[in-house]
Amino acid sequence: MRHLILSTLQLVVLTTAVTVPLAFADERVVIDDAERKVTVPESPERIVVLHEPLLGVPMADLGIVPVGSYGRADDGGSLMAVDFYRTVLGKDAPAPKGIGPVGGIDIEKLRALRPDLIVCTEYDLDKAKRFSGIAPVYVQNSSTGRIRGFESEASLARLLGREAVFDERKAEYQQRLAQVRESLPEDPHGKTYLAILLTDQLNALGEMSGVVQAVEDLGYTRLKLEKQGLVGLGSTLLVPLSPELVGKLDPDLLILMNSYAGKNRDEAGIRTDLDRILPGWERFLKPAREGRILFLDSVSVTTPSIASAEHTLDAIAEWVADRERRVEK
Amino acid sequence: MRCERAIDGRPVLRFTSGLEIGLGNLAAVAVLTVAAVVLTTLSLTVGFADTRVTDLAAAWHDGQDYELQFALLNVRLPRIVLGFMAGWCLALTGAMLQSLSQNPLADPGLLGLSQGSMVTILLLLLFVPSAPLGLIPVAAVVGGLAVVALLVWLMGGSTDGNSGLTLLLMGIAVDTMLSSVSSILILYAPPEISFAVSAWLAGSLFQASWGSIAALVPWFTLSLPAILLLGRAMRCYDLGDDTAMALGVPVTWSKPLILFVAVLLTSAAVTAVGPLVFLGVMAPHLAGFLSRSAGRARLVLSALTGGLLVVAADTLVRATTSDLALPLGLSLTLIGVPLFILTLRLRALATLRSE
Repeated sequence: MRHLILSTLQLVVLTTAVTVPLAFADERVVIDDAERKVTVPESPERIVVLHEPLLGVPMADLGIVPVGSYGRADDGGSLMAVDFYRTVLGKDAPAPKGIGPVGGIDIEKLRALRPDLIVCTEYDLDKAKRFSGIAPVYVQNSSTGRIRGFESEASLARLLGREAVFDERKAEYQQRLAQVRESLPEDPHGKTYLAILLTDQLNALGEMSGVVQAVEDLGYTRLKLEKQGLVGLGSTLLVPLSPELVGKLDPDLLILMNSYAGKNRDEAGIRTDLDRILPGWERFLKPAREGRILFLDSVSVTTPSIASAEHTLDAIAEWVADRERRVEK
Repeated sequence: MRCERAIDGRPVLRFTSGLEIGLGNLAAVAVLTVAAVVLTTLSLTVGFADTRVTDLAAAWHDGQDYELQFALLNVRLPRIVLGFMAGWCLALTGAMLQSLSQNPLADPGLLGLSQGSMVTILLLLLFVPSAPLGLIPVAAVVGGLAVVALLVWLMGGSTDGNSGLTLLLMGIAVDTMLSSVSSILILYAPPEISFAVSAWLAGSLFQASWGSIAALVPWFTLSLPAILLLGRAMRCYDLGDDTAMALGVPVTWSKPLILFVAVLLTSAAVTAVGPLVFLGVMAPHLAGFLSRSAGRARLVLSALTGGLLVVAADTLVRATTSDLALPLGLSLTLIGVPLFILTLRLRALATLRSE
């Protein structure tokens, strides 16, 4: 009996020893977006992110390389249809180690990375308690209605003490924004836009993305769809739209993108997929007839990062230049 | 205690108290116990951290290698223990319900008990998001009991020869209705709740911890006296309600009691690992293939088989987790269904040969 009690006590002590997070000399208490008090290191060095496009890319844009990222293999290769780090940030982008495929986090791998901070979106709130035994878990809101444009990058900059880097990046962005605005043939203020992402259906794009930030900073306003019966944008990145509804819409700028999962995210691929969902769109869609459609690579422009907003500006500048060349001809 | 032959010629151990245990059943329990030990040992070595069985003792006594301790004591062992207990409870419930309905297809999922639990859990998460986590199992039990009350009311005390089939059909109807309700709730729930619930619906031991084990232990423990006390009635129910009544089983209250116990066990297991569909059907069939049994022996063998199947399924999940996200429910199907088909085929062949 004595042996049993001692063994049980030993188990409790051992379990506590391996679950209690490591103590840090320089720590501070912050309130995360789930209204939880979280004690985070003053300068976290080994950060694991549980969402690559929504958290990893904005963080890497601030010059912070996560040590681990969800949906990547042990060697840093992407297990998803697309490598967001590389596509958004270029060839020198980080390749964090994996903690398991999407939908299957390996807790042992996560622990082996010895993180001092784990950052997740509100979608992973149920995992926060489980991971708190490994490292402090900070919940960063990332859904429509809770965050806009690249606000989450600003929020991460505050969390990680990278405000200066963020301000520098934002200044670069503002400069590029001014250049692109000047190159536009007409003032976009008062004009409307609608961003649509094609999956197996048509979806209006939510608010938390670089493309929305860039287009709205240029002066466009989102086309209101309330009159057409669409109330709000839900809370995820996409909200389904009826093809009939899209056929009637006439935004001043229609942005079309193909799904991340599809192989053909270029203009030709988008046109092919749109032919399937909305046959004859080139004839009856007014923005198509009047050349007001901008085709974008969804992976490059939809992360909530300054880099994605800059990709959007570059694409718009190129589109405007191309239109001018065609007019000259 | 003497070794004798039963009326059907099978060797049995007969105790002076009148208790009779089939030697075949004892052998099957021994085989399953050995298989459980072997599988647990193998399962302890499967995972990202490279470990051997001997490392468990080192992790226990040494206390230096935190990675090893974490992998074994905080991840693998809790998953094995919780998985075994949940599988035990669900398979036991399946065996009970099959006897009760005299239908080999009966399962906590098929009768709507799991769906009842899920709907009330979803309602709690949606309308009282700040509710303490301890209320979730209570909500699950309330939901399951509500389904039982509904089934008992719908049956209206029916004890005719087809009451088992009626119970099953009523259960399927209730399950279908409740699954529509839970689909609507998931669809309109905030995404963070929908995502978490969807992962749980697919079956998961991700949240396995010593805390969740402690929460399931009382219900698991309850299953032991339930086997002892209800086992005999199960043997009678296998022969039909009328025969059970003729043999002295108080059908009017023992049926609701069995359903009540089934709800408690199902709710607890479903809360811990999610609804593991088909386990309640598979495990009793596989156990029956190992050794023909009835009553308590059937319940014990089914429960052991269920526990083993879940541990095996979780081992597969952890073995493939480096590049493939395999939900526990799918893994269970991948392991259990081929075995289920194989045993059914072998049984059919044996029947053909005997004819």
